[in-house]
Amino acid sequence: MILDLHTHSIRSDDGRAKVDNYCQWIKRKDLPIDGFVLTEHRQFDGDSDYRALEDQYGLLILKASEVETDYGHVLVFGVNDDLLHALDFGRIDHPIGDVLAAAKRCGAYAAPCHPARKNVGLFSHYERKGAVDGVETVEVYNGGSIPGEDELSVEHAARYGYRTIGGSDSHIVSRIGLCATEFTDPIETIDGLVAALQAGRHEARTWRT
Amino acid sequence: MRIDEVELGDELPEERPDVSLETVRRFVKAAQMDFPRFTDHDAARAEGLPGAVIPGIMSQGQLAAMIHRWAPGSSILKIDTVFRTPMIVGTPVVCRGAVTGVNDDDTVEIDLTILSEESGATGVLGTAHVRLADS
Amino acid sequence: MADVDIRAERERWVGTVFQEIELTVDPDRMLEWAVTAGETDPRFVDPTHPDFQASTAFPTHVNAARILPDDFPDFGTRGIDGGKSVEWHRPMRAGQTLRATVAIGDLYEKTGRSGTMVFIVNRMTFFDEQDRLVCIVDWRMIRSV
Repeated sequence: MILDLHTHSIRSDDGRAKVDNYCQWIKRKDLPIDGFVLTEHRQFDGDSDYRALEDQYGLLILKASEVETDYGHVLVFGVNDDLLHALDFGRIDHPIGDVLAAAKRCGAYAAPCHPARKNVGLFSHYERKGAVDGVETVEVYNGGSIPGEDELSVEHAARYGYRTIGGSDSHIVSRIGLCATEFTDPIETIDGLVAALQAGRHEARTWRT
Repeated sequence: MRIDEVELGDELPEERPDVSLETVRRFVKAAQMDFPRFTDHDAARAEGLPGAVIPGIMSQGQLAAMIHRWAPGSSILKIDTVFRTPMIVGTPVVCRGAVTGVNDDDTVEIDLTILSEESGATGVLGTAHVRLADS
Repeated sequence: MADVDIRAERERWVGTVFQEIELTVDPDRMLEWAVTAGETDPRFVDPTHPDFQASTAFPTHVNAARILPDDFPDFGTRGIDGGKSVEWHRPMRAGQTLRATVAIGDLYEKTGRSGTMVFIVNRMTFFDEQDRLVCIVDWRMIRSV
């Protein structure tokens, strides 16, 4: 099963894609993904209900968040009431250790994204501040990376023994599915996704040319 | 171009707009933003830019022109562009568009990009909401 | 900047109109703009066309004397143009005298390749002589802090 783990909709300040249009695009272009995860910036969208779209298009649509820390941006899957209470998602300066610990404590899963990106990527902080305990998985393929960034992410992930995921980081419809994550097991819910990430039964995929 | 002739996923014909120094100079005069960062490579480098940059609003105008050529007589109800990476004056760029939504009110949504042909970097990303002429 | 609570400032400023300007649409500049941006549609490049009008991005160049309110928080002077949007409601015609209001459309902070950034959305709303809405231009100004 292949999921794009990193997408943004019009709920994000810089997102210009409607979720319905993502679904139509995936089907029309026959993209090899079975669903996607909406990771809105600095928030968790607890309101939107995409079940009708899931049924209409036969896609899995899950919701997560992209939070901002002192070691760059981090995708958080499995956001629940406990985590919403523990973290102020609107902050841009979370200590990364707090995010990793809170996610673990609340049964969620945190994975730094675009880790080689200047300022907002985990590895760009490692040279100056050292490695972070508690990181297990990083996004090595990101649809918004500039040339060379993903290669560096792959190299560093291998060096630190991190597992890898991929996501398009799409902000407009036509960018969805450029990168994704292939899971060994079928996933039907956000809890299933968290369990699969915890188990590490997945690999990052990219279709960028 | 009528609404029933458009399908989600259609791509607009690619365009390579004129981004020569001469044309950019004319544009910035018309736009009353005749600053050296747009018209003088050395001055732009002194400001920390990689060279004289194509004004973002000129790029937006080029994308709008591409839409009008694809669908003559159409009206752009909204265009929204994000300037991501400076595009350098005189360095070829390519404008692309793809239909990402065909709406019940006979309008279409289009994704827009401008890429540097040299580096492949995305300089401008955007969207447009367009009413076709015969709708 | 370190002491500024962006979310509180957002509550305070968003929607605040801090300036009003008047402008006359210059047909020569309108035409030159369209031609140099690569327009070929006669509605934008032929002044004799019965539907001659400003091209789509034309109003983005209008700058008011003040782009921020006088007592707006200081987020630094190093600015980047983060992008612009134009929402059209009716055509802008040569020779028209328009009124435009200038307001803060949004205010928020985020981190990116350039570090911590404050986004200030400057919103200009244009009205014609009959006070009908012509277009709305949002300019996302980025201040690196």
